[in-house]
Amino acid sequence: MNFSVVQSQFFPLLINGLALGFIYVLISVGYTMVYGVLRLINFANSEIFMLGTFATIIVSRTVFKFDINSQPSHGMKLLIVLLCCLLAAMLTSGVVAVLVELVAYRRLRSRGTNRLGSLISAIGTSIVLSEGVRLLTHSLPESSPRVLSKFYIFTIHGVGLRIDQFLVIISGALFFFAVDRFVKLTRIGKAIRAVSMSEENSRLMGINLNRVISITFLVGGLVTGAAAFLYETVYETTVFNVGFNLGIAAFTAAVLGGIGNLRGAFYGGLTLGLAEEFFSAVLGTQWKEVTVFVVLVLVLLVRPNGLFGEAIQQSRV
Amino acid sequence: MSTERVLDLQNVTMRFGGVSALNKVDFHVNKGEIAALIGPNGAGKTTVFNVVTGVYRITDGDIKFKGESIVGMKRHQITKLGIARTFQNVRLFGEMTALENVLTASDVHKKSGLVGALFGLPKARHEEKADRERAMEILDFIGIAQHADRLGKNLPYGDQRRLEIARALGTSPELLLLDEPAAGFNPAEKVELAATIRKIRDAGYTVLLIEHDMSLIMGISDRVSVLDFGEKIADDIPSKVQNDPKVIEAYLGVPADAS
Amino acid sequence: MLNLRDKGAQLWEDWNRPKRVAFALIMIFGVFLLPYAGDFSFTSILNTPIASYQAILVYPVGMYILMALGLNIVVGKSGLLDLGYVAFFAIGAYTAAILGTKTTLNIWEILPMGMGFAMLAGVLLGIPTLRLRGDYLAIVTLGFGEIVRIAVLNTNSIGGPNGIPGVPNPPSILGQSFDLANPAHFFWIVVVMILFVIWMVRRLSIRRPGRAWEAIRQDEDVAILMGVPTLRYKIWSFSIGAAVGGAAGVIFASQQMLVAPQTFTFNVSVLILSCVVFGGMGNIWGVVLGATILSYFPERIRFISSARQLVFGLALIITMNLRPDGLLPRKKREHLSLEEREAAKAAKAALKQAKKLNSGASK
Ligand SMILES: Nc1ncnc2c1ncn2[C@@H]1O[C@H](COP(=O)(O)OP(=O)(O)O)[C@@H](O)[C@H]1O
Ligand SMILES: [Mg+2]
Repeated sequence: MNFSVVQSQFFPLLINGLALGFIYVLISVGYTMVYGVLRLINFANSEIFMLGTFATIIVSRTVFKFDINSQPSHGMKLLIVLLCCLLAAMLTSGVVAVLVELVAYRRLRSRGTNRLGSLISAIGTSIVLSEGVRLLTHSLPESSPRVLSKFYIFTIHGVGLRIDQFLVIISGALFFFAVDRFVKLTRIGKAIRAVSMSEENSRLMGINLNRVISITFLVGGLVTGAAAFLYETVYETTVFNVGFNLGIAAFTAAVLGGIGNLRGAFYGGLTLGLAEEFFSAVLGTQWKEVTVFVVLVLVLLVRPNGLFGEAIQQSRV
Repeated sequence: MSTERVLDLQNVTMRFGGVSALNKVDFHVNKGEIAALIGPNGAGKTTVFNVVTGVYRITDGDIKFKGESIVGMKRHQITKLGIARTFQNVRLFGEMTALENVLTASDVHKKSGLVGALFGLPKARHEEKADRERAMEILDFIGIAQHADRLGKNLPYGDQRRLEIARALGTSPELLLLDEPAAGFNPAEKVELAATIRKIRDAGYTVLLIEHDMSLIMGISDRVSVLDFGEKIADDIPSKVQNDPKVIEAYLGVPADAS
Repeated sequence: MLNLRDKGAQLWEDWNRPKRVAFALIMIFGVFLLPYAGDFSFTSILNTPIASYQAILVYPVGMYILMALGLNIVVGKSGLLDLGYVAFFAIGAYTAAILGTKTTLNIWEILPMGMGFAMLAGVLLGIPTLRLRGDYLAIVTLGFGEIVRIAVLNTNSIGGPNGIPGVPNPPSILGQSFDLANPAHFFWIVVVMILFVIWMVRRLSIRRPGRAWEAIRQDEDVAILMGVPTLRYKIWSFSIGAAVGGAAGVIFASQQMLVAPQTFTFNVSVLILSCVVFGGMGNIWGVVLGATILSYFPERIRFISSARQLVFGLALIITMNLRPDGLLPRKKREHLSLEEREAAKAAKAALKQAKKLNSGASK
């Protein structure tokens, strides 16, 4: 145990934690939105994320011919490359998410069967996707060429804010804000919220359930894809099972905040990102996952519905 | 005549966020009577059942069962003490047989636990046998013994409602709470239900009943309480309540003399 | 379509007790002979290409059936989604490895202790978390599974990432020795444990605990209002399931003679859960079938070695889409088992008797 590190490294840990936290926030949004409408953990969300990271790498390598030795780019070109990679990641993840819903959930849902059946079929989808990529990549990690040179925007007392972290924090916040507005203000967003509250009532109100659910997966996928792109700009590597730990952490974050509502994903993601960085600084990185779950259990003991969850604990009688 | 209060709500308030579903309600049920609780939709009737059975914890006031406060007790302990209920929307164990539904409820007073069940200790076996016989009797008492082996979800609607009553009786309650037991019944079925409820009372149970059908209420209840917007507006014998202008207003939405 | 499950169940229910006992004995005898079923030319298709067929019967097949039956108590009977079942398997295995290498206790003595520790872990985890509902429980149990694995991985006094080698084999029973050369003997032990679990589950199912679990699974809010102490029964369910997982772990460790953290990954939890849901949650025979297929099939197709997980995933998707309740769903018929029928008959007779007495008295 090394508590002094918290003091001496406070700001670097804070910044790392926020950057990681915003990536969690975006992945959590994917989980929490799907959970809202289906009351299901979308097990394939981690693979939706994984495919987004690969899409980022593929575009930068094949379309823009970056490789390990190329110099980071600047100016207009940099902007175009980053935007294209972002778009590719978002589209890939978004489309995959919609397909996952079609393959893994739709038929089972229309039969109105037990939720665990859907869970297993989602697990099957998740296995197929990650195994497919594993076979294609021969289980090897792929590194992402450096597109963005990693300079410090500013340094105060030896504490710097790196450009990629800055990018993650800013765009993470922007994406979250955008989704939040979308769900609160648009027609389709309101339909999504209606379905989350009561599938029965929204059907009675004439909402096209299949369409709303597809769009929910799409939006969740797009945001998860953005998370994948941001992840690549910071960590610059991926592997077929990259989504596993991140997915679990993000789902944990969603539960921590109170699953099913966006605000919960936001606070849960940030709390978890910060907790991970600080705890692993004190206890050693090998205990990172453990601390995450201990935090989760402690929070749930005090607030069984998460930090911001409404009481879905008990149904009305 | 002694009038022991089986159930006594004192100044009970139940708030959900900003909504007061119950507002300073005083209300009681005497031993051995059939009491009725009426009021327009959303008046807070089901909420009374929910606070009595421990589903919600009241915001203020006190609830006494046979003189002891039951506020804050666990739901299954309240049931064990002797309060059982049915639900406004049928909530049977659909994939259990009718007999199993009743048995599950009667298990509340069972002494033998897991080990006894596993190794078939004589005590557990006897208990099990006695319970099955009693469950069968209850089904017969309510008039659905012929359905004993059928799954709850496969019963006709009316019998599902009857099975809910049987299941509640399975817990050997002192006080039976019935939430709109005649909902969806035709007149003939209602008459029959009234007879059943009387029979239940005559067998020594105390009954508190939520119902909309006035003629049913007037026919069987000893006392009627009226809720409106979470407040008790009347509490008297049926004939008096029926002519109370405040009650008529609550039901018709206009002052009684305006009509 | 011919419904094999109902036909089978119907046949069984129409039999009297001697017929049933005879049938069960023949089946059990057949199962005990399974290790030799690969020995004939016309059955050689059973043989698995890489590992020996007999060894496969012990692990994964036998172990998975055992664990799936244990998890079925939790998921299938009581409807609690446990995604960290592997933790209990690991606790059993590590109990066997630590006590087996550091003390003079033999595996048969360790077996109940392994179950006890797993059960204890189940209770300790259950008390705070079983108040949570559904998916919250799922994520907490998932976390618990990972915590156990990571804790073991990072604790050097129990071998860290290298695990513990040299776990002793069990002492022989009836002259049958247990070692790597005799997987069949291990298989028989596992079969005995499986039979015990099946007996236990069937027994509990028709009594108070089974009804309580069933009620909790169907409608927990109503169950507690009908007086079922839901938390207590959920903890029971959880810890009995854990004990079965622990038992599997002990036998596993002593058969493999080595335990290492990389065996106890989340994938195992997922696989066992898949066995339960794929076979038919809540139905013992469904679970046995599901576990048999999902454990044996990947071994049988090991020749496509690298793609077998992919095929496994596809199989899950397709089967769940075609048969959402699993291969052999839980009974939805209104037939009762012999025990239940006899009990119902007795109860009806008693009712008639009582009525007669009553009418006699009122006259
Ligand atoms: N769990 C709850 N959360 C919020 N409001 C509730 C809840 N339960 C009941 N209410 C509100 O309390 C009021 C009374 O409801 P209820 O007791 O069900 O009426 P009724 O007399 O028709 O049975 C209603 O306005 C209802 O919306
Ligand atoms: Mg009501």
